[in-house]
Amino acid sequence: MLHVENLTVSIGDKRILRGLDLDVRPGEVHAIMGPNGSGKSTFAHALAGREGYDVGGTATLDGADLLEMEPEERAAAGVFMGFQYPVEIPGVNNMYFLRTALNSVRQARGEDEVSAREFLEVAKRAMQLVDMNPDFLQRSVNAGFSGGEKKRNEILQMAVMEPRLAVLDETDSGLDIDALKVVASGVHALRGPERSMVVITHYQRLLEYITPDFVHVLVDGRIVESGDSSLALHLDDHGYAQFLAVAPGDEQRSLAATRS
Amino acid sequence: MTTDSLTSNVVLPTKRDEAWRYAPHRTLAELSFGPPNGSIASVPAGLLDDIPVLDGLCVVVVNGIVDVGRSRLHSLVRGVTVSSRAAALATDRAASTPGDETPSPTDAYVVLNAAYGVDGALIEIEPGVVLDEPIHVVDISIPDHLGGASCARTHIHLGAGSSATVVETRISAGSGFGGSNVCTLVSLDDGAELEHVVLQDLPSSQVHLGRVEVDQATRSTFRARSFNTGGAYGRLEYHVVLRGPEASADLAGLYLGSGEQVLDQQVTVVHAAENCVSRQAFRGVLDDESTGVFNGGIDVRPGADGTDASQSNDNLLLSVRAEANTQPRLEILADEVSCTHGATVGRLDDDALYYLRSRGVRAEGARRLLIDGFANQIVEQVGAGPVRAWISHRLGYRDDG
Ligand SMILES: Nc1ncnc2c1ncn2[C@@H]1O[C@H](COP(=O)(O)OP(=O)(O)OP(=O)(O)O)[C@@H](O)[C@H]1O
Ligand SMILES: [Mg+2]
Repeated sequence: MLHVENLTVSIGDKRILRGLDLDVRPGEVHAIMGPNGSGKSTFAHALAGREGYDVGGTATLDGADLLEMEPEERAAAGVFMGFQYPVEIPGVNNMYFLRTALNSVRQARGEDEVSAREFLEVAKRAMQLVDMNPDFLQRSVNAGFSGGEKKRNEILQMAVMEPRLAVLDETDSGLDIDALKVVASGVHALRGPERSMVVITHYQRLLEYITPDFVHVLVDGRIVESGDSSLALHLDDHGYAQFLAVAPGDEQRSLAATRS
Repeated sequence: MTTDSLTSNVVLPTKRDEAWRYAPHRTLAELSFGPPNGSIASVPAGLLDDIPVLDGLCVVVVNGIVDVGRSRLHSLVRGVTVSSRAAALATDRAASTPGDETPSPTDAYVVLNAAYGVDGALIEIEPGVVLDEPIHVVDISIPDHLGGASCARTHIHLGAGSSATVVETRISAGSGFGGSNVCTLVSLDDGAELEHVVLQDLPSSQVHLGRVEVDQATRSTFRARSFNTGGAYGRLEYHVVLRGPEASADLAGLYLGSGEQVLDQQVTVVHAAENCVSRQAFRGVLDDESTGVFNGGIDVRPGADGTDASQSNDNLLLSVRAEANTQPRLEILADEVSCTHGATVGRLDDDALYYLRSRGVRAEGARRLLIDGFANQIVEQVGAGPVRAWISHRLGYRDDG
């Protein structure tokens, strides 16, 4: 379903992704872990279509070339990215935004738009899934939301958009223990044979709730190790040190390693 | 209209007058003023159909004269008088209307308005009367192709403890050169509460000069909501005097410019008594080569201790050639005063655009959402629901209720 091959991203002179390969089949959940600054968010944004990236390699969803598409076309193709830092948009009503988003992708797919009443039902179900107070629908998008509330709002959007591929960037960061459970069970509920997920996280904890089919370690813009969910446990105990030393092809890194 | 000696004798403001710095002086000089010519029959069909909130009490003023036939002057509520000032003057009812003398700084256009603005709406609310339905004053200037600008004066007087909403819409028709010069004199007795909405939407070939003078007694509340969007030059000026203690003035406004429009807000709030509160919050959305001006004064007189005043001006520039000018003027001559002001000029937030687009909203729709969101924060401050809905509709925004 998602096929990524030799994906490279540079921003200005800075090379951030250095040839990333990843294949995700329908229904699979892949976790990506890795040190700060290793390129996890950059990978997510490269899939979602952020501007300002110099992108090389391949990324296709169901055979369609994502890299050729505008961000909104990717959304219509079924990509949803949960932001590590959701953007505050004062003055734009959350509910109106959600309905506009849903209808935009429906329209792009040649489907009928949902009416205000139909949408209310969709929103209600989604709210229940993430145990969110309906008041949040009447507020401006993320404006003044706490860190955890923003993350819930991301999952709410995912529940409304029903994407084919969800890329969740640190959706578990900033959540309290109860919220983590709620969000995790929300994510779990949205799993399905036709929906794939790429879950970026720093914590084994989330993965206890959402058992991933695969865990990948991203270091310096490359996947350096892949395994099953036990890899996450291993990382939890041992950290990334072993991967940092062997990250291949990175002159600066090996130089630093020799020095120390 | 004929230009008479007054027009040629008044001294027009120039670029050197701070309050007129960004005005198109050459265009203004071409306007002519004179007594109303009395022709009120020429309102183009359909012009008024566009104003749905005309259901209630309304005063339609055409070229400076109240058009009784198109107005709805009879209130079912006791203690509410809505009429033509000229008619009331004729029967001497308005002889005591406060505020007829102009106490605040004056200029040529105020002088011309005082001379030629012989008619307009007269709104009197008796003490204690609470009027829920808005009163609508629609000022229509029909260009005469000679650059004539109509003059009208609105008088609003709220008795002690009364409350009302007044909407003033200024429009015109056609593409000829001309405009309107409207002065509104508001006087609020103790504890009275007025929401006053101005929508200025003249064609871009014309000029609007609007001035609102407010005199507030103890514990009265004035809420101004201005929407300045029409005209080659659209000017809305507020001069508010908080004369009685604990009075409050809350002024919010939105100006939406495109083409080569110049939209000018000149606001002065005078704190002349203790413990008054004032707020100025104005926002501009400026596209193409338009210019927005916010010149906001807070004038705290000696003895006005305990003043709480704030001012903000935020601008969204949609084009590299658009321009926003902010000029705060603070003069504080009292103690224990809290006075804040701030101004911003920004462009559409790329991160927000990307966020919206990543949710499937097309680029143009995302821009629209962000612009609407910015502007809506003023629109939603209109208290009267139907008026808010209508303003949203008129400006092309949605009303989230
Ligand atoms: N616009 C940019 N300009 C320059 N460098 C950037 C830009 N965006 C990201 N980077 C750099 O790219 C690298 C990867 O960043 P990224 O946000 O993808 O890391 P991450 O793996 O998500 O880290 P974290 O775990 O802290 O969220 C970092 O060194 C970051 O500073
Ligand atoms: Mg990150």
